[in-house]
Amino acid sequence: MTPLAWVLIVGVAVTVAGIAVSAVPCTLRTGLTVQAIGVALIGIAGAAVVVGAASVGSQFSNSLGPTIGIDPLSGFFIASIALVSTPALVYACGYLSGSHHAPAIAVTSGVFVLALFGVVIARDAVTFLMMWELMSLAPAVTILLVSRNAESCRSVLVYLGSTHLAGVGVWLSMLALAHLGAFTDPHALAAQPTVIRSLLAGAALLGFGTKAGLMPFHSWLPRAHPAAPGHVSAVMSGVMIKVALYGLVRMLFEWLAPLPEWVAPLLLGAAALSCVAGVLYALMQHELKRLLAFHSVENVGIIALGLAASLLAAEAGQLQLAALAFAAAMLHTLNHALFKSLLFLCAGSFQRQVGKLDLDRLGGLLRTMPVTGTAFLAGSMAIAGVPPFNGFASEWLTLQALVQLALHGGQASAPMGALAAAALAATAALAVFCFVKVVGLVLLGAHRQKVVASSQEVPASMTGPVIFLAVLCLAIGVVPAIALGPIGHLSPYGPLPASATGLTLAVPGSGTFAPLAVAAFIVGCAAALQLARRRAGTTAPSPMWICGQVPDNRLAWTSAGFTKSLRLVLAVVLRPRRTVSVELDGVLVHSVVHESEVPHLFDDLLFRPALNGILAASRVLRRTQSGSLRAYLAYLLITLAAVLAVVRLGVS
Amino acid sequence: MVGNAPAIAVQLAGLAVAPLLPGTIQTIKARLQGRRGASPLQPYRELRRLWRKQSVAPHDTTFVYRLAPSLSAAALACALLVVPVGASTVGWFGSDMLVLVGLLAVARFATAAAAWDPGGGFSLMGAARDLMFSVFAEPLLLLALVLVAVGPRSTDLVRMASAAGDANIVSTPAHWCAALAFGLVVLVETGRQPIDNPDTHLELTMVHESPLLEYAGRDLAMLQWTAAARHWLMLVLAAGLFIPLPLTAPWSVLALAAAVAALCAVVALVETSLAKMRILRVPVLLGAGVATCMIGLASWIAGGTT
Repeated sequence: MTPLAWVLIVGVAVTVAGIAVSAVPCTLRTGLTVQAIGVALIGIAGAAVVVGAASVGSQFSNSLGPTIGIDPLSGFFIASIALVSTPALVYACGYLSGSHHAPAIAVTSGVFVLALFGVVIARDAVTFLMMWELMSLAPAVTILLVSRNAESCRSVLVYLGSTHLAGVGVWLSMLALAHLGAFTDPHALAAQPTVIRSLLAGAALLGFGTKAGLMPFHSWLPRAHPAAPGHVSAVMSGVMIKVALYGLVRMLFEWLAPLPEWVAPLLLGAAALSCVAGVLYALMQHELKRLLAFHSVENVGIIALGLAASLLAAEAGQLQLAALAFAAAMLHTLNHALFKSLLFLCAGSFQRQVGKLDLDRLGGLLRTMPVTGTAFLAGSMAIAGVPPFNGFASEWLTLQALVQLALHGGQASAPMGALAAAALAATAALAVFCFVKVVGLVLLGAHRQKVVASSQEVPASMTGPVIFLAVLCLAIGVVPAIALGPIGHLSPYGPLPASATGLTLAVPGSGTFAPLAVAAFIVGCAAALQLARRRAGTTAPSPMWICGQVPDNRLAWTSAGFTKSLRLVLAVVLRPRRTVSVELDGVLVHSVVHESEVPHLFDDLLFRPALNGILAASRVLRRTQSGSLRAYLAYLLITLAAVLAVVRLGVS
Repeated sequence: MVGNAPAIAVQLAGLAVAPLLPGTIQTIKARLQGRRGASPLQPYRELRRLWRKQSVAPHDTTFVYRLAPSLSAAALACALLVVPVGASTVGWFGSDMLVLVGLLAVARFATAAAAWDPGGGFSLMGAARDLMFSVFAEPLLLLALVLVAVGPRSTDLVRMASAAGDANIVSTPAHWCAALAFGLVVLVETGRQPIDNPDTHLELTMVHESPLLEYAGRDLAMLQWTAAARHWLMLVLAAGLFIPLPLTAPWSVLALAAAVAALCAVVALVETSLAKMRILRVPVLLGAGVATCMIGLASWIAGGTT
C-alpha cells in the first residue's frame, strides 16, 4: 500500500476513535479534537492526491462488492470537506459545551462527516448508495436531538421526504449504470438508445439536483439547514450539498457521456433560476440562518451555471473554454464551502450569545463581539462577490466563461450565454444588497435588545475556526492560484492554460484580472487616505445628525423596510401579502397590527398542489383496501387471469 | 514600464481631472437654464474647503463607518486605472470590464454598509434605493458591454476600445442598441436626472447623496471625489466604446477630451429637459434598456454571430 493510503486509513481510524471518545460526556472536548485531527488527516490524503494528480486505491468498478479509492476529483472534494469540517469540529468543542445531548450530537456530527467522505471515496454503486443514505440520515438525527418541537419535526420530515423521493433518481441511475457497465467503460452508454440515456440523465438530474438544492427542488433546504446546530449547519450548507454536486459532476462529465442534447440547456436554465430566485428569496428573509440557507441555493446555482457552460462549450467544440468553465465551477465550490461555513459558524456564535437570530432584534454585534463580527463581515463580503475576497475570483471566472460562451459558442449558445451572464450579474447585485442588509442589521447600528447589548465575545475555540476560514477566504481571493493551480488539472477537457492559473488570471484571448495587484492597490490607497484623514486632526465624536431630527430607536430601519423598494418593484413576481388591521376604541386608534410576508411561491404553487394531488389519489386508492378477505381473493383471481391472458397472448 | 509612461501619466491625470466633469455638466446646465452658474472648477473649491475641515464620527459607530470613504475612493481610483483613456492603460490591474463591475461593487458595498452604522433613516433610504437600482443596472451594464465585446470577442476594455475605433461599427444595429443601454447605465451610475437629482436639497428624494449625509470634512471630500470619479469612469468609457475615435493618432487624447465634453453637454441637456422620475418607475426604464439589448443581441445572432 502507498503511504497515502496509510494516511487515509489512519485518518479514518483516528476519526472513529474520536467519535467513540466523544460519546462519553466528560471527554467530549478531547473526542471532538481527535475527530478534527482525523478529518484533517483524511483531508491531507485528499489534497496530496489532487496536487500529485495520482490516484490511490481502486478505480470505479461495476461489481457490487465494496471498493474504495481516491482520484483527483475525489481528492479535491475530500480536501474541501476537510477544510470545512476540521474547523467545524474544533468549533463544536466550545459550541456544544453545556448544551443538551452534547455527546450524542458530537457522535452524529462525526458520523456525518465520515459519511460525506464515504460518498466521495466510494468506487462502487453499493458503497456509494450506502454512504449517500447515511449522509442524508445523520443530520436528520442531529436536528431531532437539538429540538423536537413540531416545527423541527416537520422540517425533518420534509427533508427526509424530499431527499428520499429524489433518492430514487440516485439509486436508479447508479444501479443502472453499474448494470450497463458505464463505470469502467466510457463508451458503454453510447451504444444505448436515446430514450435510455434520456431517462438516466433525467433520473440523475432529479436525484442529485434535489440533494444539491437546485431550484425547483430546493424546498427542503431552507427548512432543514437552519434547524441544525451551528457546526452541523455549516457542514450541511458548506459541503453536503457539494457532495451532491460531486455526484452530478461524475454523472454529467464521466458516466452519462454522450449526454442527450437537452441536458445542458436545462441545467443552465435551472441554474439561472436558482441563482436569481435563490438570492431574491434570501433578500426577503428576516431570520439569519434561513437567509443563509437560501443563499446556498443561489451559490449552487452559480456553480451549476459553470458546469452547464462547460457542457455547452464542449458541445460547441471549445474545449479550452469548457476547461475554464469547469475550473470556475470547482473554484466556486471550494469558495462557497469556505465562506458559507464561516457565516454559519458565526451565526451559531451569535445564536449562542443572544438566543434568537431574528434580524430585526440584533444590531451592533460588531462592538460587543469584535472578532466574530469582523470574521462575519469578511464572510459577507466574500459571499457578496466583493473583491478582493474569494467569492469575486470565482464569480469573475464564471462570468468570463459565460461571456466567452456567448461570444464563441455559436448561434445556439450565444443567447444562452448572454442571458446567463446577465442573470449572474443580477445575482451579484442582489447578493450585495442582501449582505449589506445583513451586515447592517446584525453587526452595525444600535443594539435592538438588552440581551444583545450585554452579549460577549465567544471563547477562543469558537473564534479560532472562524478566523481560520476568514483568512482562507481572503488568501484565495488575493492569490486564487493557490486553489486554481491544483483545480486546473481536474477538468475532463484538459488542463487550464498556465496563464489562467498564475498570479494574474488571464483568460486566453480575453480579459485579465490581477487580484493581488488590485488588492494591494486598494489596501495601500485606502491606508494612505486613512492617514491623510488622521492628519486633519482628531475625528470629532458627535451625536447622530439625521438632518436635525432626534434619533429614536423605535424608528430603526427593519429588514422589511430596507428591501421594500425592491419588493414593490417585483410585486408581480414575489406577490407579497400585507394586512393592516386598525383597532378603534371609539374614535381613538387603540392599536394597529401590521403583518406582511413574502410567501414562498415554489411551495404554494408547485409543491402544495402536487401534494394535494398525491393525497387525493391515495384516498381513491384506499377504497381498494377494504380489509375484506373476499375482496383480496377477487384481486388474486383477477391478477391470475390477467397473467394467464398475457401469457396466452404471447407477450413476453 | 518606461514605454508605457505616457499612458500612466494620462491615466493618473484622470484621477485629478475627474472633478472637472461634474463641474462642466453643472456649468453647461446653468447656461442651458439661462443662469450664469458656477465655474467648472467649483468641485475643486468644494473639495479644498472640505479637506480643511475636521471629520466627525457619530456615537456608537465602528470602523466600518470610518473606513468606508477611503475604501470607496480607493476602489474608484483602481477602477479609473482599469478603464483605458485612449488605447492603453497602466496595465497593472489588467483592463477587464468584469473587474470594473467588481470594483464598483466594492464602493457600493462600503457606502451602503456605512449608512447602516449610524442608522439614520435618510441615509438608509438612499442606500436601499441605490442598491435597488443596481439590481437592474448591473445586468444592463453587463449586457451592453457584451454587445460591445462581440466585435473584438474579448472582455478586455483596451481591445474593445480599439475595435470601437473602426468607423464601420456605426452601421451595426447591435452597437446602437448597446449605446442606448449604456446611456441609461451612465445616468444611473452618475446619479443624474431623470434617475436622481444631484441638485436636490430634499432628503426624501435623494438617492446617491443621502448615504453621505452624516459625513463631514475629509471623509465627505473623499466621497465627493468618488462621485466625480464615477462621472469620469462612465463618460470616458462611453466615449471610448461608442464613439469611433482615432485612438492611434498623436492627438487622440484631445479627440477623447472633445468627445467627453460633448457627452457632458448631452448629460446636461438630458438633465435640463427631463424631470426626475418616480423611483419605482426607474426599474421599468432599465428594463426597457434590457429589452433593447435583447434586440441588439438578436440582430447580432441573425447576422450570423460574426
